[in-house]
Amino acid sequence: MKKLLSLIVALMMVLGIAASAGAITIGFSQIGQESDWRTANTDSVLAAVEAAGWEMVYSDAQQKQENQVQALRNFISQGVDYILFTGVVSTGWDEVLKEVNEAEIPLILLDRMPEQSTLDAIDYAAAFGGDFVEEGRRMAYWTANYVEKIGKADEELNVVILEGTTGADAATGRQEGIMEVLANYPNLKVIASQTGNFTRAEGQAVMESFLKAHDKIDILLAHNDDMALGAIESIKAAGKDPGEDIIIVGCDAPKTAFDAIIAGDMNATIECTPLYGPFVVAALEKLIAGEAMDKTLIHPEEGAFDAEGGIVYSADGRVTEKAADKIGERLY
Amino acid sequence: MKKAIASGNFLRSKLFWAIVAELLILLVGFILRPDFLSIQLRTLSDGTTVLFGTPVDILNRASEITIIAMGMTLVIALGGTDISVGALVAVSGAIALKFLRWDVLVYNTPGDYTVQPFYLVILLPLLACTLMGLFNGALIGKLKIQPIIATLILMVGGRGIAQIVTDGKQFTTQYTPFKFIGNGSILGLPLPIIITLVVVLGVMLFVRRTSFGMFVESVGINPNASRVSGLKSGTIILIAYVLTGFLSGISGLIYASRISSNDSNNAGLGYEMDAILAVVIGGTSMTGGKFSLTGTVVGSLIIRTITTLVLYFGVVSEAIMAFKALIIAVVIVLQSEPVRNAISRRRDRIRTQMGGEARA
Repeated sequence: MKKLLSLIVALMMVLGIAASAGAITIGFSQIGQESDWRTANTDSVLAAVEAAGWEMVYSDAQQKQENQVQALRNFISQGVDYILFTGVVSTGWDEVLKEVNEAEIPLILLDRMPEQSTLDAIDYAAAFGGDFVEEGRRMAYWTANYVEKIGKADEELNVVILEGTTGADAATGRQEGIMEVLANYPNLKVIASQTGNFTRAEGQAVMESFLKAHDKIDILLAHNDDMALGAIESIKAAGKDPGEDIIIVGCDAPKTAFDAIIAGDMNATIECTPLYGPFVVAALEKLIAGEAMDKTLIHPEEGAFDAEGGIVYSADGRVTEKAADKIGERLY
Repeated sequence: MKKAIASGNFLRSKLFWAIVAELLILLVGFILRPDFLSIQLRTLSDGTTVLFGTPVDILNRASEITIIAMGMTLVIALGGTDISVGALVAVSGAIALKFLRWDVLVYNTPGDYTVQPFYLVILLPLLACTLMGLFNGALIGKLKIQPIIATLILMVGGRGIAQIVTDGKQFTTQYTPFKFIGNGSILGLPLPIIITLVVVLGVMLFVRRTSFGMFVESVGINPNASRVSGLKSGTIILIAYVLTGFLSGISGLIYASRISSNDSNNAGLGYEMDAILAVVIGGTSMTGGKFSLTGTVVGSLIIRTITTLVLYFGVVSEAIMAFKALIIAVVIVLQSEPVRNAISRRRDRIRTQMGGEARA
């Protein structure tokens, strides 16, 4: 009986593969649903692949590395044509990614990269990820240019920073970028910098303490918009006007940040886009057409948004767009 | 004479040393920067006047843990523990936001509105958390499953439930009455402090004015003997977990209201450990038996004071956890029985020596 059953299953699988022969199958091993950003990221990739007419085998790892290892091995045994991969941690991928290489399935790395030694040891077709240091630089550039615009370029201004989770790539990268650019503006002085763990609640509690410990705070740079949104509540509770008394710059650019900018509570947000779908599909089309890509990490095109627009936020002269004009396009 | 013995006992009690520790931490802050303890009146943009200062922050931010720790004290006094409270905080917030926003596709901008009636927004999260407490209590009190295993189920499952309720999304609201719970104030005092006061007094009255407190201690010291002597220990255990679930729900509403949103991943994260720590610092033993609700309040304040101190003096982010652990280690060592006995023996010796000299 058991044998018969497995025979039928095997037969069905053969038929199934035969039926979908010709169609390209893509395996996507995603971390899980940890945040709005991640949800938007998954939705974008799934929608774009579907629109391109390819088969997608999606695996949600629920934040566990062993689930991802299992998913990758399943992809190999299913014989998918391409693998998209975002690792929940940066270490411990050598073995399974080498198995992917041996199966000669082209690998595309998304968002979170494995550690450098792994990247050196394995083959991959393409890699896409955010540039956290540049995001940090942009936060600082925008601030410096805005301060100049409102005529405070000669004033001594006190800056506080809400850092992300200590040790996270996004936090160390953004902090590095912020400090690098602020070094050129001696009038912008960092008086406090603490972790708010990327959450609203901690951003709020830490800002509350900043406001008690420092009488004069002019600028708040938050490593993500959630912490900035939390901090806004604390600033209001201290009897100050967020966006006016304290200039607030965040990062990520979700819809909630646009709302806050339009309401005048926040001044700017630097984009860290989760919308990987379009360029992942573009890369896949190239690979399918037989074009080779190299191992360099490709950063997505990203913007920045504020209330008025027109402020330069990067060293290469990019200018911000008006949040009110763009909020309609925001999906997340 | 009797009074002297009583005060001697108090000096040997963990509660006394918890209060000493709290005062010492505040003193350190005060010496480093005298304005650490300053309180002033501030007028907000909407015209309300509020108390503004670090001591207010400590009381305010300790609310979530203090409220949960009231229930946790009884649970621990019964020889148990509840590690699902953090997840219940997330469930409470998720349900509240679900009912505020209901159909996000229709009401896709957060505004000053609630889709479902406000009383449901408040009552349903509390009801859900109470039922989850009932689930814990039934497993532990009636089916005699070990507390840490029984509450592990909801610790893991609770956040999953929270995710399902809101479809994995983070909703935001601007509904004024809901925001008032965590951010509002009455007579200058933040509302969470007032809610905490009501909860603490309520639990104290319930425990000390009825025989429930005595039953808890009796079951905690020896469940079998209590049962033989006619106490329904299973029911008493059940009530303690139901209460803890309900209180986690209140805490969850405060958390969600403060950030005007639900956060199924981070809401209440690690609260179970903070609540257990507050209870233990407050002088209730993990082995069960006698408990001190006052001690728990002091324990919770100690934890929050340390956090506030760290933020106020800008300890670098990388060192925060180690720094907190260090202070807590000192507090716990100070409270340990050998150290307490050594200190009070020394004090007794000095007193008898002085007494001898006076006589001579």
